[in-house]
Amino acid sequence: MSAFVVAYFPHLCLAFGGLLVLCLSMARSVPAGFYPATAALFAALPGLWAVAGPQGGSPIACFYAGLLSVIALATIALLARYAERRGFAGDALYGLLLWSALGMLLLADADDWIMLAVGLELASLCLYALIAARLDDNLGTEAALKYFLPGAMALAVLLFGMALIYAASGSMEIAASLAAPGPLTAAGLALVLVGVGFKLSLAPVHLWTPDVYQGAPAPVAAFLSSGSKAAAAAALLHVCSEVSPEARELLWPALAVGAGLTMAVGNLGAVAQASVKRLLAYSSIAQMGYILMAAMAVNDGGGEAALFYLAAFALMDLAAFGAVGALSAQIGDRDDIAAYRGLGYVHPWRAGVLAIGLASLAGLPPTAGFVGKFLVFGAALSAGYVGLAAFGIITAVVGVFYALRLLAALYMRESLIAHPAAVYAAGPAGTLALGVMAAGLVGLGLFPQTLLGAIAALFGGA
Amino acid sequence: MRQLPWLSLIIFWPLVAACVMPALRGDAAACRRFAVLAALGELALCALIAGLFAAGSFGPELVEDAAWIPSFGIRYSLSLDGLSLIFVVLTALIGLCCMLASRHDDRERPALYHGLILASLTTVQGIFLASDVFLFALFWEAQLIPVFFLIGVFGHGDKLRVAMKFFLFSATGGLLMFLAVIALGVLSANAPDGPNFALEALTRLDIPQNVGRWLFAAFVLSFAIKIPLVPVHMWLPDAHTEAPTAGSLILAGLLLKTGGYALIRFALPLFPEAAHAFAPALTVLGLVGLFYASAVAVAQEDVKRLIAYSSIGHMGLAVAAMVSGSRLALGGAVLLMVSHALTSGGLFSLAGAIGERLGSRRFDILGGIWNKAPHFGAAFLFCVLASAALPGLSGFVGEAMIVFGLFKVNVLAAGLAVAGMAATLVYLLRLARDVLYGPPRSAVPFPDLDAREAVLLSLLAVGIVWLGLFPGPVLGLAAEPLNAIAARVWPGL
Repeated sequence: MSAFVVAYFPHLCLAFGGLLVLCLSMARSVPAGFYPATAALFAALPGLWAVAGPQGGSPIACFYAGLLSVIALATIALLARYAERRGFAGDALYGLLLWSALGMLLLADADDWIMLAVGLELASLCLYALIAARLDDNLGTEAALKYFLPGAMALAVLLFGMALIYAASGSMEIAASLAAPGPLTAAGLALVLVGVGFKLSLAPVHLWTPDVYQGAPAPVAAFLSSGSKAAAAAALLHVCSEVSPEARELLWPALAVGAGLTMAVGNLGAVAQASVKRLLAYSSIAQMGYILMAAMAVNDGGGEAALFYLAAFALMDLAAFGAVGALSAQIGDRDDIAAYRGLGYVHPWRAGVLAIGLASLAGLPPTAGFVGKFLVFGAALSAGYVGLAAFGIITAVVGVFYALRLLAALYMRESLIAHPAAVYAAGPAGTLALGVMAAGLVGLGLFPQTLLGAIAALFGGA
Repeated sequence: MRQLPWLSLIIFWPLVAACVMPALRGDAAACRRFAVLAALGELALCALIAGLFAAGSFGPELVEDAAWIPSFGIRYSLSLDGLSLIFVVLTALIGLCCMLASRHDDRERPALYHGLILASLTTVQGIFLASDVFLFALFWEAQLIPVFFLIGVFGHGDKLRVAMKFFLFSATGGLLMFLAVIALGVLSANAPDGPNFALEALTRLDIPQNVGRWLFAAFVLSFAIKIPLVPVHMWLPDAHTEAPTAGSLILAGLLLKTGGYALIRFALPLFPEAAHAFAPALTVLGLVGLFYASAVAVAQEDVKRLIAYSSIGHMGLAVAAMVSGSRLALGGAVLLMVSHALTSGGLFSLAGAIGERLGSRRFDILGGIWNKAPHFGAAFLFCVLASAALPGLSGFVGEAMIVFGLFKVNVLAAGLAVAGMAATLVYLLRLARDVLYGPPRSAVPFPDLDAREAVLLSLLAVGIVWLGLFPGPVLGLAAEPLNAIAARVWPGL
């Protein structure tokens, strides 16, 4: 019993925390700050569990408990004042956030197909509601619907793929079922990859991403982009590492095309955007192309590279979307690139966080993105995907271009008269979170060994 | 004396100073004073290290080495030998000149302006000192960031487009080189001592021929863009023209030199076979650049743009010398690069001064400046003559060495180089004529050099004359490292 509690402590914390926040609302008078505080407490516990190095927790659960804990804490910090100012703070917001994190954790460390599906759907259902959290905002409602309908479709594809794999192998365990040879397994696996690829917004099933990110409140978009992507990528890595050689031979060329397409579509798509959130959405699509490339090389060091990159990516998007939220004063978010002109001088700290996030997304030194690219492309080269890596680097140049566009707006153009520079106070927690994200990006860029060492230690130095 | 982290101090002192700048942002005079002091400190530090180095306190090489990312064999390793020392001192000197040259561009946001110059000094010093290829690649990419902001925020005209163009050109090359660096790491993973990015270890790596050629191409593309070699030079004239004076100084004096230095230090010893294979192509491109730049320079209507094209020509000649396989020409290339940094530094500061005084640098409002401002005219003529490689001035020694060296290995190339140098005289004489002589075409008064400009130009002039008359010490410093590189690339030399 106690071993079970130790092993599933993070899951229990998140589940209980979510319930508790929802139950609190039944009490007569709860101070407004009580929900985020409680949620933050329960979001922090999995991280502490991971740091303590528990017996019986799987390495991947350990890593993801830590990562999701950071993501959830940062999201709560960014969301608290943001939601309060815009009048959609409440028990459901934080309860759903914790439950969504629980789903992501389940998705990340699932060894069983059913668990994977349950985790995926739990995470997504809560996210649908979170995206639509601002009831008076049509864009948010539309975004939630645009995420929900294709999401349901993707789930159906995923479940059908699982059924095929089960039919071919007679096992619901991921490792065992994928070891079964035969075309049916490969077909099922292809469908599963499509389903997971949807959540990861891999091209060509990425089309929902820009609309949803644009409509979602900025901190929720940060959570969606960092958390759900990280968890879905964990599932992808897991599946890719268990694939049988013959299925690999069949599917890998398709994955290579998908990775190249994703990098190209993401980076090229971002160039034409006039909306910052859409730009960041396309950029996150491109980043997932790099992750897919690492996943293809998962047995040649790509796994560790992808985990590092996911952690770095989570910091980047939390920093970028968090800064977008902190730079906004409107009902929605400051979205037009033109509205960012000259903000670098008016709000140097918040704009600075956005700049660091963008620099990291573009892979400029000395940020985590630079080291992350080094690892991911290194893994791809050592696995022999030379052409794909070269293609990826060329698309990365385009990635530099749109990051510069936004940086140039922040620092090189001044037209504050047309777009007032007023912003809401981010609150101490939000400011702290932004500072930590920016420091983390530079810190991981300069001293990546800490995280790399931790990842290597978790996975037995492999 | 050894225990102090001298090299880290050289690299990070300007960055630390840059981080202090925001505290002074309200007071432009304080910003300038602090920036000059910081640059003086850097120069003093470099001079001290040069003195200690010359006295033999450090042995042939000063090294700093620490584990950085052990799982990939990446080390924070810096080394300073004679070759790096030349460029490190040059960087500190140009850094000081940048501070002295900035009196008009920094009116808005002086703290940011000087902070960016200091930050770019850090990245350039890092390139000259890094001996771990990953660390080198990091500094290589990082050097774009401060210069991008320097041009984009403080430039003139269509500064935003120019800054983007500069960054994208450089980043394209930089990222391809980055991929090649990763590939080197992957190749070294199979070597006996595991994954490794130390330059020394990588030169001993056994790289398959075709892989080596691809990697060399990626490295050289990146360096060629920075140098800049025709046909990837397109970013340079725009960037030079629109950049603030200090930006032009950094571009011509430092960034272009990082390209040449990296070619000698990294590309040649890492891939000797590919260097032989690509040498004819690089020579042709370098010499074509020499003629092309001269032809285009004659047609320019803007002083700064003309000087920018002259950079392309001089650096093209240097590249032809570097890959020629002549040890003499290799030494000449190093000297020519240093000389070019000093002369173009002088010319760009004077061009900047013209722009500040007249509000434009177009030839059609210039002329007759010698009569209006004799000191200015003398300084301008001096820099033009140094650029034209008049005997006794720095350019002469470098160009003479290159030509003698080339004659021994390739008479045709040497003949073309001489012809190309003659072609540069055309636009340089036109520059002197149209700026200094003839009737003045503008009624705006033209004040002569002030004390600050005089100090700046004297600093450069001392360097130019010293290199022209006593190049021995500089050549002696570079001799040992260049011998080692030449012995590796052209063993029979």
